[in-house]
Amino acid sequence: MKPLIKTITKKDFSTFIDAIIKDRSYDVVGVRAKGARYVFDTLSSANELCLDYDVTIVPPKKYFLPQHETLLKFSMQKPFEGKETIPDESRIIIGVHPYDIIALDQTDRHYLDQQQDNYYKKRRENTLIVGVDIKNVSERSFAASMKTNTTDSGFDLLLTDIGTNYAITIGTEKGNKLLKKYATVKDANASDLTKLKTARNAVLKKYKQKVKIDKKDWSPLLVANYNHAIWEERADVCMECSSCTMVCPTCFCYDVKDDVSLNLTQGNRTRTWDGCMLKDFTKVGSGEVFRDDVKERYRHRFFRKGNYLPERYGFVACVGCGRCGIACLPDIADPCNLINELAHFSSEKDTGRYFIKEENEVLEKGIIHVPRSATIKKITPFNELDSLFEIELDDKKPLGHKPGQFVEVSIFGYGEAPFGISTPPGNTPVFEIMVRQVGNVTKKLCSLKPGDKVGIRGPLGNGFDVKSFEGKTLLFTSGGTGMVPMRSLINYVLDSKQRDKFKEIIILYGAKRPKEITFLGDVDRWKKIRDVQCELTVDRCEPSECWDGCTGLITTLFPKIQADKLDTKNTIAVVIGPPVMYKFVIKCLQTLGIPNENIYVSLERRMKCGVAKCGHCQINGIYVCKEGPVFNYEKLKPLPEAFE
Amino acid sequence: MKQKPRVAVFDFADCEGCELEIADLEEEILDLIEIADIVSFREVMKEHSDSYDIAIIEGSVMRPMDERRLRSIRSHAKILIALGACATMGGVNKIRNQWMPDDVKKEVYGDADLKGNELFDVFQTKALNEVVPVDYYVHGCPIDRDEFKSVITAIALGKKPDIPRYPVCVECKKNENICQFELGAFCLGPITRAGCKAICPTHNSACEGCRGLIKKAEAECVKEVLDRYKLSYEDIRRRCTMYNYGRKECSYDE
Repeated sequence: MKPLIKTITKKDFSTFIDAIIKDRSYDVVGVRAKGARYVFDTLSSANELCLDYDVTIVPPKKYFLPQHETLLKFSMQKPFEGKETIPDESRIIIGVHPYDIIALDQTDRHYLDQQQDNYYKKRRENTLIVGVDIKNVSERSFAASMKTNTTDSGFDLLLTDIGTNYAITIGTEKGNKLLKKYATVKDANASDLTKLKTARNAVLKKYKQKVKIDKKDWSPLLVANYNHAIWEERADVCMECSSCTMVCPTCFCYDVKDDVSLNLTQGNRTRTWDGCMLKDFTKVGSGEVFRDDVKERYRHRFFRKGNYLPERYGFVACVGCGRCGIACLPDIADPCNLINELAHFSSEKDTGRYFIKEENEVLEKGIIHVPRSATIKKITPFNELDSLFEIELDDKKPLGHKPGQFVEVSIFGYGEAPFGISTPPGNTPVFEIMVRQVGNVTKKLCSLKPGDKVGIRGPLGNGFDVKSFEGKTLLFTSGGTGMVPMRSLINYVLDSKQRDKFKEIIILYGAKRPKEITFLGDVDRWKKIRDVQCELTVDRCEPSECWDGCTGLITTLFPKIQADKLDTKNTIAVVIGPPVMYKFVIKCLQTLGIPNENIYVSLERRMKCGVAKCGHCQINGIYVCKEGPVFNYEKLKPLPEAFE
Repeated sequence: MKQKPRVAVFDFADCEGCELEIADLEEEILDLIEIADIVSFREVMKEHSDSYDIAIIEGSVMRPMDERRLRSIRSHAKILIALGACATMGGVNKIRNQWMPDDVKKEVYGDADLKGNELFDVFQTKALNEVVPVDYYVHGCPIDRDEFKSVITAIALGKKPDIPRYPVCVECKKNENICQFELGAFCLGPITRAGCKAICPTHNSACEGCRGLIKKAEAECVKEVLDRYKLSYEDIRRRCTMYNYGRKECSYDE
């Protein structure tokens, strides 16, 4: 079907806009001048509109993912009566360029996937987009070579300046109704349509910047150059200011904070734009920073645009608006420039793989930001840092988790933190987590008492597919707090109803110090079960400490495995521990002869939202909270950031 | 109910602007006194007590007598909060550290005989943490009221305050400002700690770095930007003198 195209005189167009403004049913925003630049802002009159602008400082994403947005309001006195503050105002955005319309469509893919973001969704539903074809091209824009200079969809109405009139392409019924209600239009005639085509073509000549390769070739080009010197060369002069991501229409990562009123009675959980160029973006509670090097963060941004999101969603997450090129003081952010330079030098072969396709079950649909109320039943300290928390969901519904999954524990005023679940799956609302005091949330948790309330979101992420372990020998290696999710798995397979499904079970467990050995009761029990070999070690032991077990790193336990009796092809190895442990343990497993595809690992990153939205837990192209935290080693191995 | 912590506010060499920011909380002051007893605050009340848990201190240390007074406050307070650039890093008071104290005195007071007058017995300006340990920092000249509130609520809730470690550009971009460099100004925003909501560039004035530098002026990227905008190292050194004289990058704990 051909699109419906109308025309309106410029004078009538102003009357149309003024009529909508006067009606007050909508918040009418449009492009306005700000000094020599342009911004989207509220209009008080059609005269303020600048439809011949080149580019706005910030894209219209701010109307869907605002710079600062309240997710929940909470009361400090009444724990866990947090309510979603869903926006309800209707808005019309006038003057959105095609590349920004396309960027919004891309953002939809991320925010309106299986785990929809209600805030974003509501804003999208309540907003009409009146696009405008580009008339003046920003000097840094390369939209034409990205084929994002025009669009056939994603708008309710699209304007094209055809001289004394605007051509209006009707994109949706909503747009059509708006016209009918407020505007005087005529059907476009053949001459109008010719003018429209001419107008669009005329703009093409105005682009000074062009990407020399087709956008479908970005991904192989980047992949071939993952280790190119260009990343370091350019990152050397990077200010790490993340201006590039702030002004980007396709960047959508965010941070979440709890603000509390000065009298400590109430507060807001708010989200704000975050940027992967900032060092603290990946920082976890214990202080560890992943992608610590500027070079890695600089590369990440381009890979996200050219490889990670294309692999995930099928589009290059750059629309050629050129905003980052303008915003970057050392001028290293412009993808056009970088891709052209890579294409110029590159002759390397496509080698790497930086993305894993992994289906995951979505257990909790719909509300993704609001925690469920739960009660702390019991707190058992292991040592001065670690305690075991027994928590019950107040709705008494079973948690319904798999071993290896995690929950986000929320304390209003303090925030949220991810915790591995340490109890096996079961038909119960009660579960256990281990809390190590490292950050604000964990420290606060440890000051709470049985009976106190916390919030729970989850279970989240991909757990272990225990069914696929049946009939196999199982070798579990855990270091430090890695025992938390491991315990869930071990107790699940050792459950008397399950035990016969698996062959021999070997448990290797290492901690830094004897006092950091957790779940000693479980360990003693496991040792007594037939066909279970359980070995413990500590890195070091002070003379004052009581320890009759092995001393040395976790790898010293491997010689205790009777390698000759191990049917390695039919052995599943699971490794969970601190980042530094994986490399060494996996080497031991390989020496034993266990194939990579039989090895499973569980990784920890900054899993802030837990629903693959906020971007903090990314390892190359994957979200640990969505594709993980449990991974098959063979699949994960090619990702350089997994075991950095 | 738990006893409210007792709070005292003190000033050293400063303009009292940061204290004024607290006084300017207006009705929210009532919220503040709901969670804390203010026992000393020269700018807004007559009463004074030497019994306090939390000391909020504005200003820099200039003289031996200041040092003695600061040590005494520290010995009374369980928690010490540095308020504003003068206290957190010396701020504008450090401009004079470019010269020797005697020369400065001579320049200002001429031949007046100040011998033996301890009020004029100045040494080189020090930030609070050059004399005593500081527990919390509220940055800026003046401080940002919202950040002050967030530091106070963080202390009250027993959590670590969330002070940005990224540059002002982040907040400036969120505010949709035209870059000061684009307007021909020389802005310290790219190397200055955020948290001020980019108030200066938002009101069309380049950043002066009052919240401390998060990157060295000697960094490669700064050099690149200086080159690009035809500025010299001398320009940035001069520019940083206003608030950051003699200072390096701020540490993670500040």
